[in-house]
Amino acid sequence: MRIAFAGNPNSGKTTMFNALTGRNEKVGNWAGVTVGRNEGPFKAEYGAENIAVDLPGAYSMSPFTPEEGITSSYIRDEHPDAIINIVDATNLSRSLFFTTQLLELGIPVVVALNKSDINDKENTKIDAEKLSTKLGCPVIKTVSTDDKNNGLADVAAAAISLMGKGQKAPYLQADIDLHDKAAVDAEDRKRYAFVNQIVKDVESREVKSSDTTVQDKIDNIVTNKFAGIIIFAAVMWAVFSISQTYVGPWVADYLVGWIESFKEWVAGQLENSPAILSALLADGIVGGVGAVVGFLPLVMVMYFLIALLEDCGYMARASVVLDPLFKRVGLSGKSVIPVVIGTGCGIPAIMACRTIRDERERRATAMLATFIPCGAKMPVIALFAGAFFAGAGWVTTLMYAMGLALILLGALLVSAVTGHKFRRSFFIIDLPKYKWPSLKRAFWSMMERAKAYIIKASTIILVCNCVVQIMQTFNWHFQVVEEGMESTSILATIASPFAVLMIPLGFGAWQLAAAAITGFIAKENVVGTIAVVFAITNFIDVDELAMTGGANAVAATMGLTSVTALAYLAFNLFTPPCFAAIGAMRSEMNHRGWLWSAIGLQFSTGYTVAFLIYQFGTLFTEGHFGTAFIPGLIAEAAMVLAIVLISKKIRADFDKKYELHNNVQAA
Amino acid sequence: MKTVIALIILVAILSVVISYLVREKRKGVQCVGCPHAAQCAKKSCCSGSSCCH
Repeated sequence: MRIAFAGNPNSGKTTMFNALTGRNEKVGNWAGVTVGRNEGPFKAEYGAENIAVDLPGAYSMSPFTPEEGITSSYIRDEHPDAIINIVDATNLSRSLFFTTQLLELGIPVVVALNKSDINDKENTKIDAEKLSTKLGCPVIKTVSTDDKNNGLADVAAAAISLMGKGQKAPYLQADIDLHDKAAVDAEDRKRYAFVNQIVKDVESREVKSSDTTVQDKIDNIVTNKFAGIIIFAAVMWAVFSISQTYVGPWVADYLVGWIESFKEWVAGQLENSPAILSALLADGIVGGVGAVVGFLPLVMVMYFLIALLEDCGYMARASVVLDPLFKRVGLSGKSVIPVVIGTGCGIPAIMACRTIRDERERRATAMLATFIPCGAKMPVIALFAGAFFAGAGWVTTLMYAMGLALILLGALLVSAVTGHKFRRSFFIIDLPKYKWPSLKRAFWSMMERAKAYIIKASTIILVCNCVVQIMQTFNWHFQVVEEGMESTSILATIASPFAVLMIPLGFGAWQLAAAAITGFIAKENVVGTIAVVFAITNFIDVDELAMTGGANAVAATMGLTSVTALAYLAFNLFTPPCFAAIGAMRSEMNHRGWLWSAIGLQFSTGYTVAFLIYQFGTLFTEGHFGTAFIPGLIAEAAMVLAIVLISKKIRADFDKKYELHNNVQAA
Repeated sequence: MKTVIALIILVAILSVVISYLVREKRKGVQCVGCPHAAQCAKKSCCSGSSCCH
């Protein structure tokens, strides 16, 4: 038996799905977290032979955005045996519009009145029995976030008991012309009137929607267009400072100490073995993977704090705060959500673009969302912030601010290139109620991310480090490279041509070029490869209980100044994301031209930002421009020319498509 | 003897890791290790008719 979970966004569908199936799909206290279909069998106690299908949130059966289309097409075309309609009990009148549409499909429906605990706190009473009679289906009060007395067993049992039965609709849509907008609007108003009458009969509430509550007063400050930005910047600064300057390095110190001891032990055991074996096991696997894993505590603390922010309802407010900025540059306010999700991982961020209705805005957002540094880039930031800048917290905040600025500038550029004219776009989001964040949920969210990080480090990063180690050890004749002849290694000869291109950016060393290239497989590889090629493992000072800082061994070995380090960091952060994220861009954009433009724009952006940081940084610190300023300018001019040519082509194609006279003459 | 043991360990680690990576890629997983990888896999993304816009 297949049971579909359908309801409005942020009604708690995925939380209920996870509770009933034991799965751990991503949840969040805001609308638009689920953008694809998830399936899984019920837990044994609820009947393991039944399959639960979690669907993206939808306000109606008429899809407005692509992810709503997944819900309506699944229910219409794949005919589940029953539907569990998760209804936000705190907002009954809005939720029941969709419920009455589901009840018309003939598929048996069970209504789960979710978030009933919030209603209890606010003294809002809903007569579930009366509502059940009026809708003609079972109605059960639930609290998906509660471990006990959550009503979930009753919901599952009710849905299973409806197998093979039909569904009688309490309201039937009139036979209208669906192409006639006025008729559809009139019909919708009738449905709303029907729903409002039901709500009036079954619900009594002390707190009216029109009342100004404490939450509204907080929102007036938090979402204020000036104060909101300052609060957002302060919150993010606090997150990065706690994770990268205080708690993160303190925890990381112990981990790095163990890894370092283990590496020394392995190297000691292999001192009489062939050098390549010792290099692969001790330096490549233990050292390289250990260097990446050493940053795990920093990433975990950051994920924990972001999970708390999501759960308490703040991240939804952050979307509202950033919305006016995004609208000004031709993006949808909905573009904010992928950007916020992008702080975790670029792939779900690109997928979250499905919630954007306009195709141009959707593609532009998918193109730009990965400028916000994801969790995989965090070790790279932490490494450079720790090794070259004593105050690690502000460097991270600066990188995120730069990422945001590049998204806004990139959006302006995309609008200019595509000839997009200003169009009023709308951003409507349900602001969830503020609540105390669940430490347990934040902890498990953090552990999931930590598990993913470890799996990635011990698979992709491990293999990459081994390959890098082998390529660094041998030359093209497969002879071991002797000391002082490192530039003849396979790795050096492959990376050197790329290193030449990076001379105007201040880092023309082949080792850094190799690290940047392996970063396209997974961004953590930048750290792993640097560890292997420079034979450094300990990026965190065990004695000082802090990230290595200032003019230390790491900075000296890499041969970078603070300016070139910042340029190299920006290059790695703002060039294209990993191949997996590029794959996600390809499937979401579904257009070869847009995809290649996105990759070109990302390369140009990373290159330009690094060029500007290096050249102007050198000018300010040393009084002259850096190396290869003129060749760098020529490269920049070539990028501008390419953008102008693409823009001309797009405009010419547009004119050709819509020019009336020539088309008529041709006909 | 230590060299032989180290060699066996190295081959075992690489065999397990590479076979795991191949298996995951065959499943359509885009980002290995990600707890939500199934949601991102192309097969499940594009199972709905209006998903592949």
